[in-house]
Amino acid sequence: MLKARGDRGSCDRCAGATGTADAARIARRRLLKDAVFRPQAAHGMNHLPGHGDFPDAARLPRAVTGTVLDVSPHVLVLGEPGARPGSEQRFTLSSDTTTWRGAHLEATALRQGDRAVVRLPPGRRAVADKIWANIGRVTGTIVEHSSDFMIVDEGVTRQRQIVVIPPRAAGRIQVRFPTLQPGYLIDIIGLRGPEALVGAIPATSQPAYPADRVPAAPLVSGHVPAAISGSATWHEPDGEPPGVLGVAYPALDPETGCAEEAAAGSERGYGRMPYLAVGSALLVRNDCNGASCVLPVTGCAPVARLFNDRCVTCGTSPRGRVADLTEASFVALGGELDRGCFNATITIGR
Amino acid sequence: MAMVQTVQIPLLSALLLSGCSAKFVRIIRVGSVDAGLGPTALFPMRLRRPLAVAMCALELGLGIGLILTAGQIGRGAPATCVRLVTSLLFLVAACSLLELRAARPDVGCGCFGDFSHAPVNWRTLTRSALLSLVALATIGLSPIQLPHTKGTALSLLGLLAAELALVAGLSPELGEALVRLGYSEPCELRAVPADRTLTALRRSKQWRRHAGLIAADVPADVWREVCWRYLVFPARCDDREAEIVFAVSLRQRRPQIHTALVDAVTGQPFAWAAPARTLRPMLRPRALPLSKNL
Repeated sequence: MLKARGDRGSCDRCAGATGTADAARIARRRLLKDAVFRPQAAHGMNHLPGHGDFPDAARLPRAVTGTVLDVSPHVLVLGEPGARPGSEQRFTLSSDTTTWRGAHLEATALRQGDRAVVRLPPGRRAVADKIWANIGRVTGTIVEHSSDFMIVDEGVTRQRQIVVIPPRAAGRIQVRFPTLQPGYLIDIIGLRGPEALVGAIPATSQPAYPADRVPAAPLVSGHVPAAISGSATWHEPDGEPPGVLGVAYPALDPETGCAEEAAAGSERGYGRMPYLAVGSALLVRNDCNGASCVLPVTGCAPVARLFNDRCVTCGTSPRGRVADLTEASFVALGGELDRGCFNATITIGR
Repeated sequence: MAMVQTVQIPLLSALLLSGCSAKFVRIIRVGSVDAGLGPTALFPMRLRRPLAVAMCALELGLGIGLILTAGQIGRGAPATCVRLVTSLLFLVAACSLLELRAARPDVGCGCFGDFSHAPVNWRTLTRSALLSLVALATIGLSPIQLPHTKGTALSLLGLLAAELALVAGLSPELGEALVRLGYSEPCELRAVPADRTLTALRRSKQWRRHAGLIAADVPADVWREVCWRYLVFPARCDDREAEIVFAVSLRQRRPQIHTALVDAVTGQPFAWAAPARTLRPMLRPRALPLSKNL
């Protein structure tokens, strides 16, 4: 989608698969921006947005999403129920393949009908490196809490989520989320059921403040650096095609009239980030393994602005959430979905 | 000694009223009554809201009460009562801040709303204790009268200024206020209305130079990246469907503007035609239908 020019290669190979008007608009914006700034760049204005070398997609892992049709100790078959014969995908399971289904299990613990995200290592696209089955995540504000379940608001453009916390996971979750009361933030990873998410692990630590009382952001002096380090998280696809590569960004231009802005509950949120638009390109780098990838901004992440948390996957991130990646992007950059985040540096204007 | 006592009444009243106003402004800005926290963070959630309201109301009442009872109207018991309660308020505040500092060292005192984010330190504590003593010192003061001589007035003003300086020195909020006064938000973080960008564009020489080519009043697409806003207008150039792209920097004065003429289908840039200023009258400014475009 974003291969605006023939001389560029990028890891947004799947983004074009959306086939939507948005995808075309994103590509067109990149093209038009290049048209304005490229002539100047040739005369020593490389600091202007829109320029940079893209990483090689073939060096990154790839994520495939599908429904488990069959699994044996050596082969996993993914497809979609009712799809035409021959459209299923087969992946070899090796002794190094790890599987997550609420906990780390053997691959044979997968069941027919499970929704699986499979990570394929670079250069070995027929081998499954890691499998996450029925993984889901709920990030938002608790709006209702009873002894059996919670209802969580993820923003006006998403449906409210029901979260059930089983007794075996309650202790682990409550250590990190001590205040399971309406108005407080929650971020939980678990098994996605037909109606509810069964919580398994806390994705972060709960902020001490309620969602409507986010502390005032510190004042920023001078120009904001183009590279910002923080925490990169992931979100479940909600209307997005499976496998799409993109990033939901916490600070879209308020002039966009983005419906999700109203869901934030806070005018600015804690972390002040430079304003961007849908279609802007971000170079996202996983600071834990060095993998990087240019990704288009595909949406806004107002809830991410409310979290002033830190990612501790490798050291402590210097600030909170700077990017909310799609599952495929998160996996492509080497993130472990069951860990919830990785320390990341985003560079704007590539 | 009477002069020193006399100065304390307007000082205490001003501090109480400004503290109440700052909290009120914060409540309005955040849209929640229990937003002006501070020591209320020590209490359970259900008590925080009534406590915040009570604190605000008490400050307002005492601030007004100190002024009303300063003269002949409230002399005697009412004046003593107001001054005693003021002293108690600051004493309780000092004790609460001591507790807050131990229990929640990351929380500011909230004394002056948004300005009191800095964690409680010795200066905040000293200020509260000092104001408590000052309020106590005003008990028994006879009704205040306007100074009869110029020298007395100047002495009072001098004393007031000195004490204000002392209080300012004990206020971490002063630094925050000064920073805000001189603060200019970087363009990356500044919300700039698209209409303002369009107005700036229409005043520019780049717009005047290419206005003859532009075929629509409203842009086909508008988006922003960091310090630049991009506006795309349909155009016609030598009977060819085209688009003119303006990149307008979001600087407040004399914004930098870059332009490109691209093919409407391929998006590839091509050479500008000769300036055609007279081909089409200047387009009138018009509000942007942004929600459709962005």
